[in-house]
Amino acid sequence: MNILSNWLREWVNPNVTDRILVEHLTMVGLEVDSITPIVPAFKGVVVVGHVISYDKHPYADKLNLCQVDVGEEKHLQIICGAKNIRSGLKVIVAMVGSQLLNSLEVKIVNLRGIKSFGIICSESELGMSDLSQGIVELEDNAPIGKDIRKHLNFDNYIIELNITPNRGDCFSVLGIAREVSANYNLAFNLPAFEVLAQGDCAISTSVINTKACPKYLTRSIKNIDNTVKTPKWMADKLVYSGQQLHTPVVDIINFVLLELGQPMHVFDLSKLKGNIEVRMAKYDEHIELLNGTTVKLKEDILVVADSNLVLSIAGVMGNMSSSTQNSSTNILLESAFFELVSISENARSYGLHTDSSLRFERGVDFNMTELAMDRATQLIVKICGGQASKISACIDKSALPKLKPITINQEKIKKILGLELNTKWIEQKFINLGFEISQQTNNSWTIIPPSFRFDIRIPADLIEELARLYGYDKLPVQKLSLEVNINSISEADINQYDIIQSLVNRGYQEIITYSFISEKYQNLISPDARKIRLSNPISVDMSIMRSSLIPGLLQTVESNQRRKHTDARFFEIGLCFDGIKVDEQSNKLAAIVTGNRFSAQWAANLQSLDFFDIKADLESLLVLTGSEFYFESEQHAALQKGQTAQIILNGAQVGWIGALSPMVQKQLSLPDCYLFEIDLASIKLRNIVKYKAFSSYQQSRRDIALVLDEIVPVAKLIQSVKAMQQQYFIDVILFDVYIGNGIKLGKKSVALSLTYQSLEGTLTEAQLNTKVDEVLVLMQTQYSAILR
Amino acid sequence: MVSDLIDAILDRAKTSIEKIQNLQELEALRVSFLGKKSELTFWLKNLEKLSKEHRPKMGKAINQAKVNIQTLLADKKNYLELIVLEKRLLAEKIDVSLPGRHSEMGGLHPITITLNRIQSLFIKNGFEIVVGPEIEDDFHNFTALNIPKHHPARTMHDTFYIDKKTVLRTHTSPVQIRTLEKQNPPVRIITSGRVYRFDSDITHTPMFHQIEGLIVDKYANFAQLKGLLIDLLRTYFEKEVLKVRFRPSYFPFTEPSAEADIECVMCAGKGCRVCKKTGWIEVLGCGVVHPNVLSSVNIDSEVYTGLAFGIGIERLSMLRYSVNDLRLFFENDNRFLRQFR
Repeated sequence: MNILSNWLREWVNPNVTDRILVEHLTMVGLEVDSITPIVPAFKGVVVVGHVISYDKHPYADKLNLCQVDVGEEKHLQIICGAKNIRSGLKVIVAMVGSQLLNSLEVKIVNLRGIKSFGIICSESELGMSDLSQGIVELEDNAPIGKDIRKHLNFDNYIIELNITPNRGDCFSVLGIAREVSANYNLAFNLPAFEVLAQGDCAISTSVINTKACPKYLTRSIKNIDNTVKTPKWMADKLVYSGQQLHTPVVDIINFVLLELGQPMHVFDLSKLKGNIEVRMAKYDEHIELLNGTTVKLKEDILVVADSNLVLSIAGVMGNMSSSTQNSSTNILLESAFFELVSISENARSYGLHTDSSLRFERGVDFNMTELAMDRATQLIVKICGGQASKISACIDKSALPKLKPITINQEKIKKILGLELNTKWIEQKFINLGFEISQQTNNSWTIIPPSFRFDIRIPADLIEELARLYGYDKLPVQKLSLEVNINSISEADINQYDIIQSLVNRGYQEIITYSFISEKYQNLISPDARKIRLSNPISVDMSIMRSSLIPGLLQTVESNQRRKHTDARFFEIGLCFDGIKVDEQSNKLAAIVTGNRFSAQWAANLQSLDFFDIKADLESLLVLTGSEFYFESEQHAALQKGQTAQIILNGAQVGWIGALSPMVQKQLSLPDCYLFEIDLASIKLRNIVKYKAFSSYQQSRRDIALVLDEIVPVAKLIQSVKAMQQQYFIDVILFDVYIGNGIKLGKKSVALSLTYQSLEGTLTEAQLNTKVDEVLVLMQTQYSAILR
Repeated sequence: MVSDLIDAILDRAKTSIEKIQNLQELEALRVSFLGKKSELTFWLKNLEKLSKEHRPKMGKAINQAKVNIQTLLADKKNYLELIVLEKRLLAEKIDVSLPGRHSEMGGLHPITITLNRIQSLFIKNGFEIVVGPEIEDDFHNFTALNIPKHHPARTMHDTFYIDKKTVLRTHTSPVQIRTLEKQNPPVRIITSGRVYRFDSDITHTPMFHQIEGLIVDKYANFAQLKGLLIDLLRTYFEKEVLKVRFRPSYFPFTEPSAEADIECVMCAGKGCRVCKKTGWIEVLGCGVVHPNVLSSVNIDSEVYTGLAFGIGIERLSMLRYSVNDLRLFFENDNRFLRQFR
């Protein structure tokens, strides 16, 4: 909300500068976002001048030679081209040396042989407005030589406030003034507005739903002249506060809204039919709103209607046909208290956010209804004339908010703030805030909050009030008093940081991509996954909650390729979504590699990364767990058939590894990529070491080369050897796989190295042969593998 | 005299050894002077043929000559080996200025770096790290945090909806509720992660990160919250005298509520574009947990006091690393990311 500093000072005028004042507002919780003078600052001397005489410039038709009195001994000679220049005019003179808007410097200039000592200013040169016609004409009694900023009140600041949702009471000059007076201990009294009211309201009103509308006041004013001009003092305040100007009556309503925070409405009386009713909308009712749109009303929407049609969505916006025009002469004023839940429902349903709904949603003082009515009436009668009726009031007192007493004591204040406040000070602040102290002892108070402070409900609210008036900055600073406690971190837990650090060491860059992806990516990568769709996405490209991290990795590779970053290793950790329940949201880790293994360098040849590069990186993570794992050839929508495997850890499928499928590659214009994705939870635990005795005798090694069908996965052979759990067995290592010359088509040669060792002594040749023979027999029976 | 003969052998050996230029010739020389067929060996074998009085003297002379020749050979050998080594060293000389054979290091995302730094400060002080879901129900994200339906504060949170009762969490605060549902006070937790708001422009991204702390204890108070956060900010920015100010604000789940500003680290509080000429930058929200929040998880607010704070990670990261555009964090441009390696 914007508020003008001078307007505020008409209500309460603390003896501090505007800059200090806004600093204080921020520190009591009314955050000031910006402070801007209504006319930008300029440098140098700009004063009121008096045009003594003017003549045509001898050598230029369109220029005039003026003698201007600026309160100095000598008159200034200024050349001016404005059409509205004339003798006797009071003008604004920027003296030589001053600097106006857009760094326009005023110098002595020579115009066709004649010197000019200054500028007679237009509005745009000073930044008073964007457009201006001719020079500014000041009123005749403007004092010659007076600083124009002072004379025209240019140092009147527009204060932009960021009002928090709990402080609906501060959406007005009155509200801010109340805060300022509480802060500076200044007296504050609500003014009274005198109105001469005669006769009954021209129309009768009834409220059907008093819970949603506990208070509804109307008053008719007849014979007004709505063609007059809104007075400048009011128009300025409205414009500088960000309001557009309309007809005088509407301007006055808006003025009262800004001044007192009470939203009102005005109808053209001649356009109303029958009586007025405040009720819920009926089935199939429509309203053509002031903003030109027609909406169908839902049956839980509170409306104001006459016998003919719906006149307004209560507290939000009126209809077109009953609105006032310049030609309106008889009007009906509405000042009401609507309950906030109804209004926020009203506004939200139609996406309407008006100055009126904003205030009702945050809460309006239910004791302001009459005062605002009188203030608006007073201004209308004064500006537009007319005769005001008495107020017609529909009030259901039982439906009005209740002001419940709240009790607070010193002990509680001290417990929360860590500080004991002075009793007298506390009482003074309660009074300053308009709180009624209904009961008190030496160290406890029962207070009743004023009708405008619906945010004050519990003792904690009172503590905050005291704290902010005391000054958060002055409140003490203490050390946290905590019991020492040693966090139990299990040794078996693998720190996530260790996992990602391991990838970083292997050359991977972490990325963070959005958790919502496009449907296109979802269909391409995880066609079978459940689609969790946002009902209000930012765009279609960000509409599905991801079930895999792969789309983000692919997008990142793609965008970096475009920037010519072609060698890349990326990884991301993040939640993926299989559903909306807590246990359907799990952390995954995924990585992608593309391009060359090493960047171009003198000491290594360029080699493309392949499946076994990323597999090694993945294996380095899996071994952290100390558990058994293997890879099983499988198919995945995003991965290349024949170069894809499921990751099996501890017997469970925990992820995928593979080359990006050529089909996806083509669709997304990507290079060769290799990826893996794994459930992070599966690599969260490691086995705790249990020491096994090792032998001090010599290890015996035997190498065997087997010929077998090419399609048999080598990992199976190794698993089988390990599964034999032979006595003396230490390890089996694969050291060669060969396909080609000397080996039949469809066959391959696999070289294994077997190691045996005994705890009791060095193994004999015979013992060793027995062990190796066992392996060979198994290889032959299980895999038809023949010793080469 | 035989002894003259021995002397002559020694002399010859000296001259020959001096002339030798490689190790093989030296070995041949050793064999010829000290081998089985050498003159010295011959004389030694025929020692018994000498008269008794000459024998010891002669034996001594032969042995002495042997030792002398051995020494000469060893010295020459060392010398020749040194020459060979030097040749090799010369041949194996490399340009040590050439860069090492390298595989590039990866790096962490600056958001992760920032999160880790802050979390580690809290872990050291006995806080426990907890996590929560990002798709949240209305109850945990709003209602339990004292934001009932129709509450004006809901408009502060431009929420992404999955359905009427399911949202993308708008803050990390629901984790407070989830923790207090399971754990009795005293509680001291830190949680962090992604949060989502329907907002996308130069200074807002629809997803960002928060870190949030919660303390529930019998003797916790606002003064301690101030102390903790001042310490945190000064430690994070590594500035012992960093100015921090607290001012009243509003969050439905805390009362009293505060926002903390730090003096602008870009202009040292003088006023610049980053701090909008105010000299201050808002960095966090905090407060004493609202009694309604504690009662929603059955904790007696008369006995226990809760302290809570939430910090935007992107903001801290931007200030720390002079990043001037929020969107850079999610564009994953390698030219940006690699700078944090």
